[in-house]
Amino acid sequence: MSELYDFGLRPGEARLNITWNGQNGDLPDAVDYDATQQQLRGWAEEAIRAGSIPGVRADRGADLSNFVVDRFPATPAIPYARVMLRPKTPFG
Amino acid sequence: MDKTIVIIGVGALGSHLVLLGRNWPVRFTAIDFDRVEKKNTMSQFHSRMGVGRNKAQAMQQAMQGLFGLRLEAVPHKLTADNAARLLDGADLVVDCVDNAEARRVISQTVRAAGIPCLHGAVAADGSYARVMWDASFSPDEGAEGVATCEDGEHLPFVAFVAARMADAVQRFLKDDEQVSSHLHPGGILLV
Repeated sequence: MSELYDFGLRPGEARLNITWNGQNGDLPDAVDYDATQQQLRGWAEEAIRAGSIPGVRADRGADLSNFVVDRFPATPAIPYARVMLRPKTPFG
Repeated sequence: MDKTIVIIGVGALGSHLVLLGRNWPVRFTAIDFDRVEKKNTMSQFHSRMGVGRNKAQAMQQAMQGLFGLRLEAVPHKLTADNAARLLDGADLVVDCVDNAEARRVISQTVRAAGIPCLHGAVAADGSYARVMWDASFSPDEGAEGVATCEDGEHLPFVAFVAARMADAVQRFLKDDEQVSSHLHPGGILLV
């Protein structure tokens, strides 16, 4: 059995953080850091519709097709990889 | 010698950033070609006295009148043709514009000149924002042109983001630290 890293992540895995309607939370299950944008959006939409993201109210109409995927590798300050799924931010 | 901070765009984020930075020992330059509209007074640090005036000049007048703060106003649009000249001499550039094309010009210019740059970027529905140093920033494409912050609907979040930008600038001025973050109405995510 492979060693579990801190925060329950194995090598190559990441936490998927999602913001929907201004509510933010992590998908309980780890995801592959290199998963495609389509896969990530699909998993997140399914989770929002099912109400399985702590901190994000269930929404059957969740549509993340225009959302942006940002990937952040582990750092000394945050020692695990993260993938963030977020709305576009054009304004200043 | 005081550092020079050039703020490009003094709308929602930029105007509030100047307000929050009024005690910094710096020289401010504000660049904005746009004019203050009545609706802007609900979401930006512009008052009815500034309606119809250029935003950079309205900001200059407001900060001088309210706080005695001197600010250089540049009432022009920053473009690829004039960016190097307008940003020359800056110790820090702060990007608060509202379109990807201008953000690309800013990034290209500061990278070529080796000028530190902080970007502030907000979602149209006030549900998310990024406060990012240039090395890890890329502009979002294809999301301009929609109405945002009508009647100041997202003003508390705008103020939250501007405060986070002010904190990032203060850390930079103090010891060159560059802290980037993502924000949502419930909190801050360090990145």
